Amino acid sequence: MKGFVLTRAWSIARKEVRHVRRDPFTLTMALGLPVVMIVFFGYAIDFNVKNVRIAVVDQDRTPSSRALQNVFSSSDYFQTVPADGRDGIDLLDNENTKAALYIPPGFQTDLTRKGAASVQVVLDGADNQTTGVIASYLGGLQRAANDRLAVAVPVPVRLDTRFLFNSELNSRWFIVPGLSVVVIGILSILLTALTVAREWENGSMELLLSTPVRPLEIVVGKLFPYSVLGLFSLAFVYVAARLVFGVPFRGSHLLFAGTGLVFLTTVLAQGLLISVITRQQLLAMQLANISGMMPNLLLSGFIFPIESMPAFFQTLTMGLAPRWFMYIVRGVFLKGAGLFEMGVPIIALCAINVAIVALAVKKFKTDLEP
Amino acid sequence: MNVTLRGFMKKELIQTLRDPRMRIVMFAVPMLQLIVFGLALSNEVKNIRLVGQFAPSDVVGQRLVRNALASTWFIPGQEAGGAFESVRSGNAHVVLVPPPGGLTRSVARGDGRLQVLIDAGNAVRARSIEAYLQRIVAETMAQEAAVAPKPAVDFSLRVLFNPSMETSLYLVPGVMVMILTLLTIIVTSMAIAREREMGTLEMLISAPIRKWELLVGKTLPYVIIAMIDVPLILLAGWLLFGVPVAGSLIELFLASFVFICAAVAVGTVISTFARNQQQAMMGGMIFMMPAILLSGIMYPIESMPQAISWLSQLDPLRHFVTLLRNILLKGGDPLVVAKHLGALLGLAAVAIAVSARRFRNTLN
Amino acid sequence: MSGRALAVEVEGLTVSFGDFKAVDDISFSVRPGEIFGFLGANGAGKTTTIRVLCGVLVPARGRVLVAGHDFSDGGWRIKHQVGYMSQRFTLYNDLSVAENLAFTASLRKMSAEKTAARMTELFALIEFDRPLTTRVSDLPGGLKQELSLAAALLHEPSVVFLDEPTAGVSPASRRRFWDLIRRVSQKGVTVFVTTHYMDEAEECDRIALMRAGKIIALDSPAGLKTSAFPEKLIEIEAPAENVVEWRRALAASGAVEGIQPHGMRFHAVLKDPERFSAASKGARWREIRPSLEDVFVRLVEGDDR
Repeated sequence: MKGFVLTRAWSIARKEVRHVRRDPFTLTMALGLPVVMIVFFGYAIDFNVKNVRIAVVDQDRTPSSRALQNVFSSSDYFQTVPADGRDGIDLLDNENTKAALYIPPGFQTDLTRKGAASVQVVLDGADNQTTGVIASYLGGLQRAANDRLAVAVPVPVRLDTRFLFNSELNSRWFIVPGLSVVVIGILSILLTALTVAREWENGSMELLLSTPVRPLEIVVGKLFPYSVLGLFSLAFVYVAARLVFGVPFRGSHLLFAGTGLVFLTTVLAQGLLISVITRQQLLAMQLANISGMMPNLLLSGFIFPIESMPAFFQTLTMGLAPRWFMYIVRGVFLKGAGLFEMGVPIIALCAINVAIVALAVKKFKTDLEP
Repeated sequence: MNVTLRGFMKKELIQTLRDPRMRIVMFAVPMLQLIVFGLALSNEVKNIRLVGQFAPSDVVGQRLVRNALASTWFIPGQEAGGAFESVRSGNAHVVLVPPPGGLTRSVARGDGRLQVLIDAGNAVRARSIEAYLQRIVAETMAQEAAVAPKPAVDFSLRVLFNPSMETSLYLVPGVMVMILTLLTIIVTSMAIAREREMGTLEMLISAPIRKWELLVGKTLPYVIIAMIDVPLILLAGWLLFGVPVAGSLIELFLASFVFICAAVAVGTVISTFARNQQQAMMGGMIFMMPAILLSGIMYPIESMPQAISWLSQLDPLRHFVTLLRNILLKGGDPLVVAKHLGALLGLAAVAIAVSARRFRNTLN
Repeated sequence: MSGRALAVEVEGLTVSFGDFKAVDDISFSVRPGEIFGFLGANGAGKTTTIRVLCGVLVPARGRVLVAGHDFSDGGWRIKHQVGYMSQRFTLYNDLSVAENLAFTASLRKMSAEKTAARMTELFALIEFDRPLTTRVSDLPGGLKQELSLAAALLHEPSVVFLDEPTAGVSPASRRRFWDLIRRVSQKGVTVFVTTHYMDEAEECDRIALMRAGKIIALDSPAGLKTSAFPEKLIEIEAPAENVVEWRRALAASGAVEGIQPHGMRFHAVLKDPERFSAASKGARWREIRPSLEDVFVRLVEGDDR
């Protein structure tokens, strides 16, 4: 690439800055939205389901059955709702009641005579997410029930579980870093996706084409101001995560900032690429949503774990910058991971960055060449 | 139909669908997205990397690890410099650390203990990992002892409506809603903002057409496009993922129609705030991201604080997701359908009223 | 309304944007079939005025009657009678000629037969010979503007408003366009045009000169010239050297008034023919008919200079 002139890139950057400054709406969005979203949703999202309404059909009505009910109602997880007979399953049709407990007649008798009795727990599987979590509570509740009602059966192996990096299983520590990656990723693509397309639509691109500016200068010039904006946004989010949610930061700030910059330039370049290809704002937006928002939200490991995906898709997501940055952010915040442990993600992120920027420059080149 | 409306729709459809790329985006891409996300996304906790630090002579420990790996949940992890480091570096999600002397010996002593280190970066996964491990331990111990100490009180578990706990049945309706949302809200708001940005709105206003003719003419085409996508997506969902239609098709299409109208109306409201397409898009995003997060597509609404759960009632996506899941999977409980359809109608009406009031028929 | 009613009547029109008065208490009227020009610099208030007359902008104060209708119904009846060619927008670039006109027809609720008939008439009028499926973006600028005019005339309005219709168009095309305007006007349509091209203003039956929101002159081109230059207007060839000195001396002599540079020469009003030859040191001169540019400079900028 011959003749990269810094001053030309700089003047493009300056023009872009002027655009942004004159559009206070976009500016506030870029800086404010991530923080607002993180505070709001960090507060709103909590995977630890509590107070699940469980309908209880007690056909035994003995002290034992009542004691069993008590095990459920006294836990934080469940809220018992007495029901009769057939109603149990019908109650499940109601979206509020997620589970039902059937205590058959003869429960106490079986327990005292035979030493073993069975009750049925029915879960509403349509709501898969809650179902899994509720099912995981049942283990502990079963043990508690046994403790309460029968002679405690000696457990051959006691598990001494240590939850590393998040001993209280605070789901917000998991959500907040992830959400910041997603929000900033989506926003960045959208910021740049329209810029070039708009210039094509209103004709100012043709003006630019008549000047001796080179593709790399345009790309760098346009990316620079938005990268700075993005870094500020990232900083605000960091502050919110630390101060509002108390998410610990155990790693290196330099690593965080450095990889953050790489991530930002990558997604911004992606938006720029979209802009160059589509030349039309409406189409650019659609493409940004398809290649940016949806993958960012669904395929980055934000809520749906990458490990749970079929192998084909796991490989596919390796081409997604948000997936790698998500990994780095979670590692840096919670695990105190350093350069060494994050080697693979860092390299992958940089590789994707180079690829996308190169593609953007190349596409611009074909546009600018007479 | 009204001549103006017909003419408007023709123009809108020509402009939108003339570009083949746009045609692909509006019709083919939704199917593609459904396929990709339907196949890829899963809530199930699996592929958990397990490391057991048992000596080869530790029979019980080795058996435990074998059982774990034989289950569908665990896969072998790698030790990389100690238990803690292995988890930190991501080489293992869970490490089993036996007591000094090995697990076999401690069990024989009647003092069986096992330390378990679990990566709790993902709190939900961590919880499930522990639950799975407990089951595996219990199974392994049952194999060891001649008589399995059966718990006195046994919970027998039945899962309704989705016995295999197949994620796709639950997720696919959610993905459908996301796809339909993408086709409506932002596209509509940008389309109207485009006229303003290009200066063509001035020309439209100078003609003797009523406000409603202009608004309906601009938005109806997008309703039609989205409605065409509905059966396409449903078909794909059924063919690929076996998502059933347990309820009535009429209810389904009615719910889809009302939702699409509400979404398009929201897009129109957003466009009245925007001076150009970029602002329209940003505005659409501001609405959409929270709408998706609060809709129950990605995680349960029940676990939200009361105040926020209240707020989600204002989210058309939330109502449509519930409706879809209910109609598709549970057959459409009349009370549930009525409640959420009513909410959607209400939201649509409000959005339409607001956009009608805000849309100015003059330039000042 | 009787046939002799005014096409446009404006009384005390004021339009404000916040504190800024874009149009400040103007009054004028336009006769049916006239070509009425609105002349002025950018920002003088021309576009704002036209927007009010089209029903697109609501005035702060004033009485406006277009084709005999006022704004009491929100401009609904006015919009039926009026055609508008705005400054920014001509036709949808991504649509074909036929599609554009079909759309315009649908906005006006015209029947298919009527639309077809009008289109034939209008294409003949503007001598349009391209295939109707041509994309508008593929048309040259001048043709686009003529087509826009045709679109504005599709529903047979009695008044048509054109806001800087020849902006960015070649001189040859501008010529053609004004021939078209004249043909349209001959058919009885009132044409209300804004422009900042002086030569175009000459073609109008009457012109209103706008400046900073006010009308500072209103008359036919000839009338304006006579009233602005009651005395002789002459063109003087400056000497080869010491032009500044010469000009100062000439101005000081009182033989002429209002010396304005005009290209490479000077225009001035001859006040005292006897003193002139001496004061001008025998420079060559001739009498000229004032152009509208002279009028404009005199009225608008002459006060400042």
